[in-house]
Amino acid sequence: MSAQLRPSSAFLNALKYLVLSVGAFLMLLPFIWMILASLMTSAEVMARPLVWFPHSPQLENYIRLREVLPLGRMYFNSLFVALTTTLGILLTSSLSGYGFAKFQFPGRDLLFVLVLATIMIPFFVVLIPVFYIVKELGWVNSYWGLIVPNIVTAFGIFLMRQYMLSLPEELLDAARIDGASEFRIYWQIAVPLSAPALSALGILAFVYQWNNFLWPLVVVRSSDMWTIPLGLNSLKVYASSPQVINLQMAGSALAIVPVVLVFLALQRYFVQGIAMTGMKG
Amino acid sequence: MLGRKAVAGYLFIAPSIAFLLVFALIPFLFTIYVSLHDWNMLVPLSRARFLGFENYRYLLFEDPLFWQTFRNSVVFALGNVVLTMALSLAVALLLNSRLRLRALWRSAFFMPYVTSSVAIAIVWSNLYHPTYGLFNGVLQFLGLPTLDFTNSPSQAMPSLIATSIWHELGYYMIIFLAGLQSIPGEVYDAAKVDGAGGWQQFWRITLPLLRPTILFVAVIITLSSLQVFDLPFILTNGGPVNSTNTLVLYMYQTAFQFLRMGRATAMAILLFVVVFAMTLIQLRLLRERE
Repeated sequence: MSAQLRPSSAFLNALKYLVLSVGAFLMLLPFIWMILASLMTSAEVMARPLVWFPHSPQLENYIRLREVLPLGRMYFNSLFVALTTTLGILLTSSLSGYGFAKFQFPGRDLLFVLVLATIMIPFFVVLIPVFYIVKELGWVNSYWGLIVPNIVTAFGIFLMRQYMLSLPEELLDAARIDGASEFRIYWQIAVPLSAPALSALGILAFVYQWNNFLWPLVVVRSSDMWTIPLGLNSLKVYASSPQVINLQMAGSALAIVPVVLVFLALQRYFVQGIAMTGMKG
Repeated sequence: MLGRKAVAGYLFIAPSIAFLLVFALIPFLFTIYVSLHDWNMLVPLSRARFLGFENYRYLLFEDPLFWQTFRNSVVFALGNVVLTMALSLAVALLLNSRLRLRALWRSAFFMPYVTSSVAIAIVWSNLYHPTYGLFNGVLQFLGLPTLDFTNSPSQAMPSLIATSIWHELGYYMIIFLAGLQSIPGEVYDAAKVDGAGGWQQFWRITLPLLRPTILFVAVIITLSSLQVFDLPFILTNGGPVNSTNTLVLYMYQTAFQFLRMGRATAMAILLFVVVFAMTLIQLRLLRERE
């Protein structure tokens, strides 16, 4: 579409920016309103006609929130659970991905088909039995219960195996001739060379675990084990009374803003990660 | 006798295989087993009463709520597949054109995806609030009639779909962008030499070459929408009058509020069959077209 050939291209170009601006505004509007409303008094939130900006922005809601929710505990739990689970996923996925990609042993292909088959089992299908197993292990309402059932994902194994197939065999053999143990070759050669796939998997797994709701909802019993989504869920009981809209907005802002900041800093890796995992099909 | 390397191979995969057995494959068989029983999880499974296919028969022929939640899930999935796909592709096309500040635009559209669905559901429940919500405030300001949104049985599902589109659009936009960027520029150059205009290029080149990506996205959206839980749980809790109750939400209620594990697992298996069939159909389409 060269510019000179098309008289209307200036108009089309302007239209393009207009459409994008409207779209981007609509995407950001809920966030903007969340922040604005979280700084308002209850009277301002409920005012009709609509008040857009708080008359004098106040942090009252954030302070009130500290009385309603164990914020520090929620952040710690979310961070601890999401980090440990992600590390577990990275470790188990790279170990078995390497095993499947670079070793010959009887039954290997059959076992890999087994892994692929479990990709086809969505979590909700096994929710009840997994909860029962966790209950029998005495892990209800514990970090064990929150973390352990999630530290292996069939998709992660699949992704790492596909990536590690391309690691150069000569390099691994050279290390073997030098007398390195198999585990050391994995740890010092295969893992560093797989950094792009590992960072893609890691960032997506972390976001997934950080936002995970259904499993924590089932396995957590007391507020000291709440992750951030569970704490926010507890604000929902106030939903019937409009005076707490600003409180809910403050809670959501505390959950959303740190993630958005991390995302803006690491945006490139997010995009690469999705492009890499998404295009695998 | 196994070689050293074969033993090492087994050791590398052993932890993951053991885990998948304990937390996926055995539970899957367990789900089938429980679905044939009457069980409340309070007594040992060995004391559960065997029912045969009674749970399935009840759900399929006697439980109107099962079919309603099934229909809701399908409507939700259809709405998402069609609208999310069209919008995310449109945005990806715009972002793929010559553009200033591309990264900035991309962040704006992608941002909702990284945020917790629980947090955004709480934000949206307030945007939708019939009396004090932002949307009705804006409608009033413009002199338009207000809407009931999540408070009305007929508007709740469209509201839920709208929130879901807003939340997920950025993810599929990125996948489409990657697909668009994998189309070699020479193809377009050749088309331009042959005098093809913008629309023609889109219909004759972009769409056909993007077909694998489009199908892939359709599969992912269908599968994830059929399993939706967080949004209806927070935004509407399935209401009003079950108009947004979805299969996974109904399963959760049946299992953890009514403690009917047999019925809930039967639901899980029925939904699994649907999800599995959809995956196979769509993967087959994908392979044929490639």
